[in-house]
Amino acid sequence: MPLEYLPIMAKNSAPKPPRILVSPSKPAWCPITKPVSASRVALLSSAALRLTHQKMFIPREDMSYRRIPSDPEAGEITIDHHSGIGRVPKQDPEIVFPRTALAEFAKRGIVGSLAPFHFSFMGGVRRPQEIENELAPAIANDLQQAQVDLALLVPY
Amino acid sequence: MIEASGIPTLVIGTAHDIMSKVAPPRAAFVDHPVGRTFGPPNNRQRNESVLAKALAELPKFTRAGEIHDLGCNWSPDGNRAWEDQLRAEMSQDR
Repeated sequence: MPLEYLPIMAKNSAPKPPRILVSPSKPAWCPITKPVSASRVALLSSAALRLTHQKMFIPREDMSYRRIPSDPEAGEITIDHHSGIGRVPKQDPEIVFPRTALAEFAKRGIVGSLAPFHFSFMGGVRRPQEIENELAPAIANDLQQAQVDLALLVPY
Repeated sequence: MIEASGIPTLVIGTAHDIMSKVAPPRAAFVDHPVGRTFGPPNNRQRNESVLAKALAELPKFTRAGEIHDLGCNWSPDGNRAWEDQLRAEMSQDR
């Protein structure tokens, strides 16, 4: 039986109301037309990740995002998300953002190629309309520009 | 939004109840503590194992809203003692 997170989050957020979970107002389904081995892949993370020299995210309502080079040699990653669970992933961000594993898969031909950048933003932001109207379209546009075939989203 | 722009997505997540509510187009469930989706720190083999299972699952999705269990357990013996530790960590999230 999987652990239920919603009751834990509700208890921890008291006396504030729990976060409201919001689905997209226009659900979409885009068929997969290419095998992974022929696809350009990008990672998306809500852990508020960045390279150490990039601008810090400001908890808790930061609406910006960072482009993180997909090359694992491009620099060290840090996590700005405020969650109490951060102690462990801050030791090794690859456990929420498998940039090295994905690059290795690209070398081996398991995935076709890497997008030049992966993306990260602040999870848990309580501004769903701005996420849908501003943040998500901006990232979607970057993904299109990079001709990405598949986006892997890792919630934090 | 990304899916609507013509790019297929796969959510790889640890919170089955949240993914059930939000219903992303495709979701792969990993039965790990939140914040350790791809395994414990400094274990590249485990990172690759979870990622490989997620990618292998992609062709099996047939319609929006499905959640596929990747069969990834945190403890090899199925021990769930990690849940209490995680609750303690999450209690600091105020």
